Amino acid sequence: MAKPVLEVVNLSKSFDGAQVFNDISYTVEEGELSSIIGPNGAGKTTMFNLITGHLVPDRGEVLFMGQDIVGKQPFEIVKLGMARAFQRTSIFPRMSVLENVVTTIITREHGNLNMFKAFRKRDKVYSEAYELLKSVELEGMAERQSGVLAHGNQKRLDIAIALALKPKLLLLDEPTAGMSPEERKQTVELVKNLWERLDLTMLFIEHDMDIVFGISQKVRVLCYKTLLAEGTPEQISANPQVIEAYLGEEV
Amino acid sequence: MNWIAAALVLILLVSLPFVLMKFGKIGEYWVWVSTEMIIMGLFAMSLNLILGFGGMVSFGHAAFFGVGAYTVALLMKKASVPFYLALAAAPLVAAIAATIIGWFCVRLIGLYFSILTLAFGQLLYMIVFQWYTFTGGDDGIHGIPRPEILTPTNYYLLCLLIFVMCFMLMRMIVNSSFGLTIRTVRENMERSKFIGINVRSYQWLNFIIAGAFAGLSGGLFAELNRFAQTEFLHWSKSAEPILASLVGGMYSLVGPAIGAAVLMFLKIILQQAHKALIETWAIVLGCILLLVVLFAPSGLVGIYRKVFSKSE
Repeated sequence: MAKPVLEVVNLSKSFDGAQVFNDISYTVEEGELSSIIGPNGAGKTTMFNLITGHLVPDRGEVLFMGQDIVGKQPFEIVKLGMARAFQRTSIFPRMSVLENVVTTIITREHGNLNMFKAFRKRDKVYSEAYELLKSVELEGMAERQSGVLAHGNQKRLDIAIALALKPKLLLLDEPTAGMSPEERKQTVELVKNLWERLDLTMLFIEHDMDIVFGISQKVRVLCYKTLLAEGTPEQISANPQVIEAYLGEEV
Repeated sequence: MNWIAAALVLILLVSLPFVLMKFGKIGEYWVWVSTEMIIMGLFAMSLNLILGFGGMVSFGHAAFFGVGAYTVALLMKKASVPFYLALAAAPLVAAIAATIIGWFCVRLIGLYFSILTLAFGQLLYMIVFQWYTFTGGDDGIHGIPRPEILTPTNYYLLCLLIFVMCFMLMRMIVNSSFGLTIRTVRENMERSKFIGINVRSYQWLNFIIAGAFAGLSGGLFAELNRFAQTEFLHWSKSAEPILASLVGGMYSLVGPAIGAAVLMFLKIILQQAHKALIETWAIVLGCILLLVVLFAPSGLVGIYRKVFSKSE
């Protein structure tokens, strides 16, 4: 029996009186590659914001590796081993691709209070960063300014930044958003590859049904403020409630 | 950085007062001006630690400049502390002020941060202005003693030495892991939190460091003028390093110092050409800023880099 990495217990949240979540509970187990789906406005990104400490839930608990993390700052939760990549790509645009990763590794490893040693002299950090860029196939652009990269490459850099934290749990918010079909396929391959190669638990949000059902071991459906269903892709696609609420519109 | 060019510039700067002194009274005046340029250059560089590298626009940086100036003035005048000790105290007292003010300011971001720095700056200004018995109010503090060894030339050299030391120190900070983190926060504050950076702490620490360097420049400025006055803390004084950073180049370390020197030089040339022309300074400054913002957003250093096609 795998142990839980993330436990969400009776989570509720409302904005200005409008309820977004009512009493949601689920568990993400170690080593899992699972996903959260839901129609537009179901609160998928809000769910990530609640888990990562960006928002504070009204009620309920969020346990990460058995530890209650509600009320902790995002940077504290990151230090516990949770990393996140963003739907709207979030990188450090005026820095080189390599520096984007270097600054993350330095934050993770050395702490960054050191004012005496030039960061460019940290050879170990640089070689690790370079290896990481290889794993997302960006090593050819290491010295380019990251802000001028094509959208798909920025998205992959975003994932590389998250991976540089060596997380136990990686949250991916629509990793293929805004990509061409060709790029989508590549990114899905990349995500699956990373998951297989690294000792990682992954939870991702996705719009594209083919992607979700293609790679998830477990799918969770957010709808009507609650968790409508949870199960394997086969179970979910056969669930009449889900078909009515969500898939029905698209099929 | 090109070491040969740096060495050449340094040799020129060291020999400058000896050449100028050959020109009698006018020469002495220009030594004084050059000293002020160096001090204002240090002040501008200190602000740029938070402005250019940290991405935090402070409208209240003169507060720390003024605190440094008044520290030197009060210690020397009221407690007869020797100059070098008083000067050493200036960055410390300014750092304490920056610790307190910064604690509040880094809680806000963007425009709100800027407005709060302005408010604190003006608050300090009003305290100094009103507290007549301690600070002399709008009379300021005059007649700060000058150690005999500090002739205009020697004082220039002392300021240059301190400037170079501060430059090396700031260069080390900017190129360190801490410096990289500060730039990281500037580039994307939200993302910084999600790579595990305690954004507020780093901004706070950077604010304190910048305040300390500003305090040192204020201390040097008080001794140069041999007085301290409320104007040193006024918000218009806070604008000077911002303009210098814009003109010189925010994304380089030495840019703001160059900007400060160039702006001062232009202003004095204008003044020397004809007394009445100084009235037009605001127009000239406005035109310069317009040109910089429109055509050279990276300032003079940016132009230099483009000409010699160096990347950042």
